[in-house]
Amino acid sequence: MRRWMRIGAAVVSVVLIAAACGGEAGEEGEETGAPKIVEGGILRLGSSSTIDSLNPFKAFQQDAYNTFMYIYPFLVQYDENLDIVGDFAEDWEWSDDRRSVTFHTIEGGKWSDGQPVTAEDAAYTLNLMLKYPGPTGLMAGYAKHIVSAETPDPNTLVVGYEAPVNEAWALSQLELIPILPEQVWSQQEGDNGKGLRTFTNDAPIVSGGPFVLTEYEKRDIAQFAKNPDFYGPEPHIDGFGLKFYTNEDAMISALLNDELDAVETFLPTALEKVQADPDMVVVETEGVYFDDFIFNSNKPIHEELLDPKLREAFAHAIDLQELVDVVTLGHGQIGTTIVPPVTGEWHNPNVQAATYDVDLANQMLDDLGFEMGPDGVRIANGRPMEYEVLTPDSVSGIDREFQIIQAGLEQIGVKVTQKKLDPSAVFDVMAGPEYVYPESYDKFDLAIWDWYPLIDPDFILSVLICEQWGFWSDTGYCNKEYDQLYEDQGLAVDPEARKEIVWQMQEMIANDRPYLVLMHRNVIEAHNKQWDGFVISPQGSFNNLWKATLINVHQVG
Amino acid sequence: MRGADYVIKRTVFALVTVFVAITINFIIFRAAPGSAITNLSRVPGATPALRAELQREFGLDKSKWQQYVIYLGQLGRGNLGVSFSSQEPVADELKRAVVNTIPMVLLGTVFAIVFGTITGVLAAWRRRTAVDYASVTTALFFYSLPTQWLGLMLLLLAAGKLPSGGRVDPFLFNPSIVQHMVDVLEHMVLPSATLGLVLYGEYTLVARSAMLETLGEDYILTARAKGLPDRTIVRRHALRNAMLPVTTLMALSMGYIVAGSILIERVFSWPGIGQAVFSAVRDRDWPMLQGAFLLLTLSVVFFNYVADLLYFKLDPRISE
Repeated sequence: MRRWMRIGAAVVSVVLIAAACGGEAGEEGEETGAPKIVEGGILRLGSSSTIDSLNPFKAFQQDAYNTFMYIYPFLVQYDENLDIVGDFAEDWEWSDDRRSVTFHTIEGGKWSDGQPVTAEDAAYTLNLMLKYPGPTGLMAGYAKHIVSAETPDPNTLVVGYEAPVNEAWALSQLELIPILPEQVWSQQEGDNGKGLRTFTNDAPIVSGGPFVLTEYEKRDIAQFAKNPDFYGPEPHIDGFGLKFYTNEDAMISALLNDELDAVETFLPTALEKVQADPDMVVVETEGVYFDDFIFNSNKPIHEELLDPKLREAFAHAIDLQELVDVVTLGHGQIGTTIVPPVTGEWHNPNVQAATYDVDLANQMLDDLGFEMGPDGVRIANGRPMEYEVLTPDSVSGIDREFQIIQAGLEQIGVKVTQKKLDPSAVFDVMAGPEYVYPESYDKFDLAIWDWYPLIDPDFILSVLICEQWGFWSDTGYCNKEYDQLYEDQGLAVDPEARKEIVWQMQEMIANDRPYLVLMHRNVIEAHNKQWDGFVISPQGSFNNLWKATLINVHQVG
Repeated sequence: MRGADYVIKRTVFALVTVFVAITINFIIFRAAPGSAITNLSRVPGATPALRAELQREFGLDKSKWQQYVIYLGQLGRGNLGVSFSSQEPVADELKRAVVNTIPMVLLGTVFAIVFGTITGVLAAWRRRTAVDYASVTTALFFYSLPTQWLGLMLLLLAAGKLPSGGRVDPFLFNPSIVQHMVDVLEHMVLPSATLGLVLYGEYTLVARSAMLETLGEDYILTARAKGLPDRTIVRRHALRNAMLPVTTLMALSMGYIVAGSILIERVFSWPGIGQAVFSAVRDRDWPMLQGAFLLLTLSVVFFNYVADLLYFKLDPRISE
């Protein structure tokens, strides 16, 4: 699931192993003797993701969202500390009742077709989603609770909500909505908005961000040129090209042989080779991406798996440190909760991973009455504790991950076998073709998968609500109390109150254990020493959190 | 008239094959677990309304039988449908991918045909000599190598000398025609060589085997008894008869040109039909898969049809 999911991002504990942030380095450089900024040039960026569509109402792949960040205005974006700051909106104020927010947008920007970028474009985009929730469905979820978008003047946007909302939550949702040029999209609505999904939005795209997408070849290349009429700071580079690779070894080879200047996130297996090259700079930081062990929480084939005590025993039998050391080659951290530590205040530090203690795990299963059988496999409810674990082939290192878990569980008399399928087939087994509560989620026991949470915890918390059956739910977990807390956190106006609820939800999941969070994987990327100014985040430098990276990035002289 | 019967039979057989393939294409992808809706409706805040909208949009709210009738109707009008993933016409998607694939695969296939046939004939002609042993060993070696492994090895060996992936250097701005041609050829070398080397082994073995069989025929013995030089025997009498199985293999290879090679295109990030099919399988993009496999079917059937007609010309026994 999820690799196509737009990644979230996160706060605080960004660990730079090699400094790569640029910012004002060049100006300082003149005084300190550090390398100077060389203006101009084309950055050649390699990616193992791709752009599947240039239409925001159709796109799924991460590079598509990253592209939208650089070619379209967004009301707000994140800064390097992962706090929300202005992008097209200079500032904003909330009404006292927190039911509306007024944005003041920057004047003077132009779309690449010469039309001015105004708040009216932003209002048009939001109203498009309110008017056509079906065709805009891939984005419309971000407009949840919005009931109106009005422009008293071309540089002011008032967004109205159906109820008082939490400011951070509301802004984090708006951060995901690109502002589209009304003059282009209003021609594409067609019959009841159906044209919005068939519009291919081919290059050259009418762009209002710092770059214009000038050329795009599917599965091959996307070329961007600087937009001279961008409303924000001028990039140092003249443009950049995004080259797509389906083979990470080839991408790394291209970087090391000067076919590329920088690469997006790559696997730790290539790290040693890149580090050995004196012309390369490697950047690593904690990521939001985590792997999880899934218990079917509705109707597993073996019903003993619903018992939280059994789940806890399983948790004690899995050596999480070995998983980190072997699967990520040490480039990760032991997992605790579904809200990753890099999300800062949203992460509940009181939730700890179960200690690796096989004796304790065995004792717990003994206490539950699951006696050891003659062949070393325990018996539960008259049947051997033998389970099948679904593993999607999209998860990097999934075989080794399974083997380590298998070895751990074997020590407590539990036998697991691997069933490897592609993600679509795994979900089909999990949820079944018809997703009807409570009849679905009854054809599997266990699984291993991964998640890419967003920067705001709303999304990752939402995957466990009952409504997500057949959509994001890969556990069949359904708890009305949890659902209520989820509703409450989005509407908790007081930030501290929202945090309390988010923490409470993490504790609830840690106790019920639909997931055992196994580990978080680091983000690793690299670039040539001739370049600097990359602004790293828990989802890499080229991301859909901010425009900073490709505005700051530059050659050094 | 026997010739006309033969052509009519082969034509009818080809048409029936295509129709059966069309039907199997429709059934087989729907039999696999998972669906495009599952993938596409998994977005934040997704609702049953979104799923219903997608099902309606893709026509999946209709019965399988209705979908099949619509599919046949569309095909009858030359419409391959619209891709679930990209929402673009399948024909456009296929055209883009096939145009990228054909030159690369054609180069590799032609290399294999030419060198494989030459080495196969030489090996048979110089049977039980060093030439024979070297040819067969080399052919078996390449024939048995996993394609993706060979591709990766070539990629590593040629690192820094030839491009690591892609079809052209996108950062070669405003190239002259010569520069562009050189760039395209450089990018094609490794993927074409990978394909060519794997196929080459097959051609060598088939050509050698066919040639050996022919060289054992009585009429070859007669030619030798007449005192004809070896070269003439091979060129005038043996080669043409040995070409029948090679012709079949060539027809098969040419038929598969539009299929590309998923493994080679993945290793070399080649934006061709192999990659398009790979993505379509992962996305359960049924119209795209149906279109790609229909194209492949048509291509294979067409080249086999051509081979059948060539047999008619090459082998007089058929027309007797």
